[in-house]
Amino acid sequence: MKERILMLVLIFSGALLQQLLPAWPLLGGAKPPILAALALHYALRRTGRDLWLAIFAAALLRDGLDLGPFGPALLAFPLMGLLARRVRNDIFADGLVTQLVFGALAGGMAALMAMLVYMGSGQRPVQPGHALLHLLGAALLGMATLPLVSRAASRLEAALPRRRGYGWQ
Amino acid sequence: MLLFAFVAPSSLTRRGKGAVRSATAPAERGAATLWRRLAEASAVIRGIGGAVERNRELSQELVRVQTELSGLRDAENDNVRLRRAFDFSRQAPFALIPCEVVSRNIDGWWGTVRIGKGSTAGIEPNRAVVSPDGLVGRTAEVAPLSSEVLLLSDPGCRVSAKILRVEVFGLVRGVGTNLRGEPRARIDFINKDVDIHANDEVVTSGLGAFPKGVHIGYVSAVHRDESGLYQYAEIIPRATAGLLDYLFVVTDAGKEPAP
Repeated sequence: MKERILMLVLIFSGALLQQLLPAWPLLGGAKPPILAALALHYALRRTGRDLWLAIFAAALLRDGLDLGPFGPALLAFPLMGLLARRVRNDIFADGLVTQLVFGALAGGMAALMAMLVYMGSGQRPVQPGHALLHLLGAALLGMATLPLVSRAASRLEAALPRRRGYGWQ
Repeated sequence: MLLFAFVAPSSLTRRGKGAVRSATAPAERGAATLWRRLAEASAVIRGIGGAVERNRELSQELVRVQTELSGLRDAENDNVRLRRAFDFSRQAPFALIPCEVVSRNIDGWWGTVRIGKGSTAGIEPNRAVVSPDGLVGRTAEVAPLSSEVLLLSDPGCRVSAKILRVEVFGLVRGVGTNLRGEPRARIDFINKDVDIHANDEVVTSGLGAFPKGVHIGYVSAVHRDESGLYQYAEIIPRATAGLLDYLFVVTDAGKEPAP
């Protein structure tokens, strides 16, 4: 229960932090994808209800706090969850290389889905050069964000007080 | 899910977004306050560091005074900023609702900021948002406790405008930011026979819900449209909105500001 509450608190705090951080003009205005990184972190480590709770909480916050309809994150994050669930037994989730690859994937996929939804629904013009720069920027920032977010979340979880076990109890 | 993304009823979307934003609004305000305190603390620390670098033999008393001075300087800056905002809201000929910027956009696709007031304070969608420097953008989505402001530099923001010197009309639209993060916009559909120069002032025309004569920016370059029927001009928007700035939502756009 404590771990679930910490997970939700982290996702909520991640949403606030992602909003406060400035966009990077050199990377097409991309921002560090903290919510996508948190969703992926939990998708690689949790099962069942917690996995989907994390993914949908992050997606609802991401879409609810952005302009336009619900959709980009509600499509991208569950896809990431399904992918992570499929490969989680074949990879070492705490490995730096794994996190770099998956971080780039998380950032890139979230940005790509947003771009497709905005273009498909005709909500905003997307310039090809800017869009490409934004996608690359989101992937790069995802690579930098996932290891940091994953390490911070793991440390906080490890710091939670645990009930002492008594053998068969 | 796809169906929900593309054809979700707007009322459902609005209610859903309103619920998410109402839930996050108090935390956003708290985070904004915390951010301001951190910025003030870092300014004070920078002040101490600078003093130590300038003269390592300064006494502890002098450092204390320097710290106090840094704090006072911050307070003075805040005072000047607030006084300017207050004077602007008092002198503006339209009814204004003062708001504080509490957060930026979450993903970087949209050029938006969120202000800490919403429909409960009387804010409606598609209202002009101004600062003492000029037009900032317009309100896009309004929740009970917060509103999303679409900035002038966003490609989705379009404003009817005129070039003041030659009294010619056009449509201003955002073209994003350059690689240094500076906002950019352009005014389209200008009569090709009109002589436009760099540094010509661009103001709102008064069409739509926007007040007339609000400063937008200055022309930086003039180009001929591909079709050859019109010309367009690049604009440097003067008003920008950062985190924790004070903005004003125009509620009554009836009159033109005094020159």
